[in-house]
Amino acid sequence: MPIILYRTLVLGVTTLAVVAPLSLVVYQSFLTAPFFDHSARASVSAYSFVFADPDFWQAFWTTIVIAGGMAAIAVPLGALLAFVMVRTDVPARRHLEPLILIPIFVSAVVIAFGYVVAVGPVGIFSTMAKNVFGVVPWNLYSLFSLIAIAGLTHVPHVYLYSAAALRGLSTDMEEAARVSGANPLQVALNVSLPMIGPAILFAGVLVFFLGFELFGLPLVLGDPQDVLVLSTYLFKLTNKLGVPSYQLMAVVVVVIIAITAPLVFMQRLLLRHAQRYVSVRGKGLKTQPLKLHAWRWFAFAAIVFWLFITVVVPLFGITLRSFVVTWGEGVKLAEVLTLDHYRELLDYPNVVRGILNTLGIGVIGGAISVACYTAIALAVHRWNSGWTRLVDYLVMVPRAMPGLVAGLALLWVFLFVPLLSPLKSTMASIWLAYSIVWLAYGMRLVSGTLLQVGPELEEAARVVGADDLRAKRDVTVPLIKYGMLASWLLVFLIFVREYSTGIYLLGPGTEVIGSLLVSLWGTGAIDLVSALSVVNVVMIGVGLGVAVRLGVRLHG
Amino acid sequence: MADLVVKDLRLRLGDNEILKGISLNVTPGQVVALLGPSGSGKTTLLRAIAGLEQPHGGAIAIGDHVFYDATRGIELPAEQRGLGLVFQSYALWPHRSVFDNVAYGLKLRGTPVAEIKSRVEKTLAQIGLGPLAERYPHQLSGGQQQRVAIARALVYEPPVLLLDEPLSNLDAKLREEARAWLRTLIVTLGLSAIHVTHDQVEAMAIADKVVLLDAGIVAQIGPPTALYNDPATLFAAEFMGSNNRLDGTLLENAGGRAIMELFGERIVGVARTQAAKGGKAIGIIRLERVHCASMPGPNRLKMQLKAPMYLGERWELVFVREQLSVRTYAAAPLQPGEHYVEFPPEALWVF
Repeated sequence: MPIILYRTLVLGVTTLAVVAPLSLVVYQSFLTAPFFDHSARASVSAYSFVFADPDFWQAFWTTIVIAGGMAAIAVPLGALLAFVMVRTDVPARRHLEPLILIPIFVSAVVIAFGYVVAVGPVGIFSTMAKNVFGVVPWNLYSLFSLIAIAGLTHVPHVYLYSAAALRGLSTDMEEAARVSGANPLQVALNVSLPMIGPAILFAGVLVFFLGFELFGLPLVLGDPQDVLVLSTYLFKLTNKLGVPSYQLMAVVVVVIIAITAPLVFMQRLLLRHAQRYVSVRGKGLKTQPLKLHAWRWFAFAAIVFWLFITVVVPLFGITLRSFVVTWGEGVKLAEVLTLDHYRELLDYPNVVRGILNTLGIGVIGGAISVACYTAIALAVHRWNSGWTRLVDYLVMVPRAMPGLVAGLALLWVFLFVPLLSPLKSTMASIWLAYSIVWLAYGMRLVSGTLLQVGPELEEAARVVGADDLRAKRDVTVPLIKYGMLASWLLVFLIFVREYSTGIYLLGPGTEVIGSLLVSLWGTGAIDLVSALSVVNVVMIGVGLGVAVRLGVRLHG
Repeated sequence: MADLVVKDLRLRLGDNEILKGISLNVTPGQVVALLGPSGSGKTTLLRAIAGLEQPHGGAIAIGDHVFYDATRGIELPAEQRGLGLVFQSYALWPHRSVFDNVAYGLKLRGTPVAEIKSRVEKTLAQIGLGPLAERYPHQLSGGQQQRVAIARALVYEPPVLLLDEPLSNLDAKLREEARAWLRTLIVTLGLSAIHVTHDQVEAMAIADKVVLLDAGIVAQIGPPTALYNDPATLFAAEFMGSNNRLDGTLLENAGGRAIMELFGERIVGVARTQAAKGGKAIGIIRLERVHCASMPGPNRLKMQLKAPMYLGERWELVFVREQLSVRTYAAAPLQPGEHYVEFPPEALWVF
C-alpha cells in the first residue's frame, strides 16, 4: 500500500471519529427536540431555556469558583512539593515519588466514596472524633471541603510539570543565591520557582481546566447540599423534564466545550513557551541537594500528612467499609467484620460482567487503542506537510470534551447512525469512547517514544531499498516496542480508572466498574459500592506495581 | 555502466538556498570527494543524490536511469535508486544483528535465502568482520560499526557508494588507518564512490577527483594535485593546505606574472587575477614553500623572527613585520632577530 493511501485512510478515520460526535452535539443543540424525533425543528429555543434557568447559572458560577479554588490550592503546594522533591535532601525521596502520583491514578469517584465513608457525617473518623470532642469538627458536605479535596487531589498534576521543569534547569542560579546568603525557602521562592514560572502557569491553567472536567467529586460530595457544577447539572438534566431533553443537554455540552476549548488551546501555547524557557540547560553536573537540616523532617512530615489526607484517609475508609457490615457509635469493629460484600458482588451478573469488562477494556481495549494511536502517530511522523497540523488540532478536540460529555456525544452517534446502532450495547462503544477521550494522552505517549528513534535509521532503510511503509514496519515499529508496551500499561491504568465516559453508554453488556459505581451509588448500595471500589483500586494497584517494577515512567 | 551525472542541481531548505546549481559527474570506478567547509552544502548534495532531500531544480541520473529531473517532473524515491549510503552516525539498526543489518537490502530485493547467506558472508569477509556476524551493533567498537555500515551499503552492489563523513566518528589515529583501508577497499572492488568530508587531507588521500564546494556552488573540480598545486580561486587556495596571506598593491599584471608591492619591495608571483595594476593584491603561499635566508635578494622580505615552536618532527617559525605575519617550517631553529624571508615566485599566487 502506498504511504499516501495509508495517510489518507488514517487521517480520514481519525477526523471522522473526532468530528462526528462534536458536530452531532452542535446540531442537536439547535433543535427543538431530540434529533430522532420527527417534530424536531431548527431553533435556538434550547439555548434560551438553559440560559433562563437559574440552576444553570448557579452551576456555572460554582464551577468557576471550584476550578479557581482548586488551582489556588494545587499550584502553590504542587510547585513547593516539586522544589522539595527535586532540589532538597528530604528523607526517602525515592520512595515518596511514586506515592505522590497515586491520586492521579485512583478514580475520583472512589476517592469521593472514601471520603464519605471515612469523614462523612457517620464516617469512621467522624465517629472517632465525635467520641473525643463530642461533635464532628468538620463538615464534608460543604463547598469549602469540596474545593479543598479537589485542590489537594490535583497537587500531583502541578508537581509533575514543575518537577520536570526544575530537573531541566541548571542549578547555577540557585547556588549563586545560596552563596549570597539565601535560605532554602528563599531560594525556592525567589529563584527556582520564578525560573520555572511558565511551567507553573501551564500547570495552573491545566488544573483550572480539570476543574471543568470534575464530575465524581461534586456528584458525591456536592449532591447532599444541592451543590451543582456544570457536569453534574448536565447529569441531572437527563431526568429533569421526564422526557429525554437532548437539546438542553446539547446546549450544556456546547457551553462546557466553549469554555474548555480555549483553555486547551491556551495550554498548548503555554506548554510550547514553557519548553522553550526550560531549554536553557546546565552542564549536567550532579549537584549536591540543598540541605534543609532540621527542616527536612518538617518537609517530610508535611508530605506524609498530605498523602495521609488525600490517599490514606479515603482508601483506608473505603477498604475498611468493604469489610464491615456497618459502623457507627458504639459498634465494635471486631464484631462487624465480614466478607459478605465481596460474595455479594458475585450475585449480581451485571457487576461480574462489569469487572470482566473493565479488565477486558484495560488489557485488550488498551492494546488496540495503543495500536491505533501508533498508527496515527506513524502516519504523521516526520511527514513534511501541513496536514500534520490538522492532526495536532484534531487531537485537541476530544481533550476539550470531558469524559461524561464525550460518552453522551458517542451515544448520540450510535443512535444517529443506523449502521452503528448494533454496536451501541457492546463493549465496542465503550472502547471507541475511551479511545477518543484519551486520544491526546495516548498520542503524546506514542509520539514521545517515536521521537527517540533517530531519523537516519529510517533513512538507511529507505536507501537500502525499503519503501516508506516498509521502513516503518521493519525499523521504526520494532524499535518502539518497549515504548508501546509502556504506553499500553499506562493506557490500561487510565481505562480501568475511567468512570465518567461510560455513564451514558451504560447498559446490559457495556458495564464497566466506573460507571457501575456511579449508578450503584445512586441506589444507595454502599456495601456493594465499597467492595467494588476496592476491586477497582486493587486492579490499579497491580497495574501500578507492574509499571513501577518495569521502570515505566508514570507520566508521558 | 554509465556515469552518475548531476546537472545544475538546486535545493532550498525553507528560505535558505543550500545548493545553487551544482554540476558534477562520477565515472565508473572513480572516487569523488565532496569537500568544503561546514555549511557549504556537501552533505545536502549527497543526501539529494540518495533521494533523502528534495531539490527544486536540475537533474540527477545514471545513464538512462533518471533519479531526478525537475523539467520532466521525475523524482524517484530513495528506495528505487539502488544506491548505497553510509551515514555519518552509521545508522545501524540496533534491533538487528550484524548479519541481519547487512542482509536487509538483499531481502528487500527478493534474493533467495541461500544466496543472501553466501553474499552477506562474502561481504563481511571482505571487510574483515566475518566472525562477528551474530553480534549486535552495540557490541561492536566504533571502527567495526563503521565497517558494518559500509558492508550494508555494499552488499547489493550499488552502482555508486555514497559516504557521508564516514571517518569523522573515529578518533584521530584510527581515522588514518581507516582512510587507507577504505581507499584500498574501494580500489580493489573497483567501486564508484562519492565521499563527503570537511578534511582536505582525507579528501586528497582517498579521491581521484575532488569537488570543492563553497556556499552551495562548485568552487573547483579536479584531481587532488591540481587542487593543491594549482588553485583557481582565492577560496580554493586558502581552503587547501596551510597558508600565508600577504596583502599588498598590484604593480604589474601581464603574461601570467603578477608583481605586488609590499613594504616597498617588489614581490613576483603567479597571476591568478585579471585585475589591472594599482588595485589591491592578495598573495597566498603554502607554509612549506616559504624559505629563510640570511641576506637580501629577489622576492625576499626583511622580517623579525618571533617564537620558534617545536612540533616534534620540525620547527614552526613565525616572522612578523608590522601587521604582516608569516609562518614557515624549518628543520632546525634559527636565532631570533632579523632574517630574510623568501617567497619563490612559482609558489606564490597573486589574487
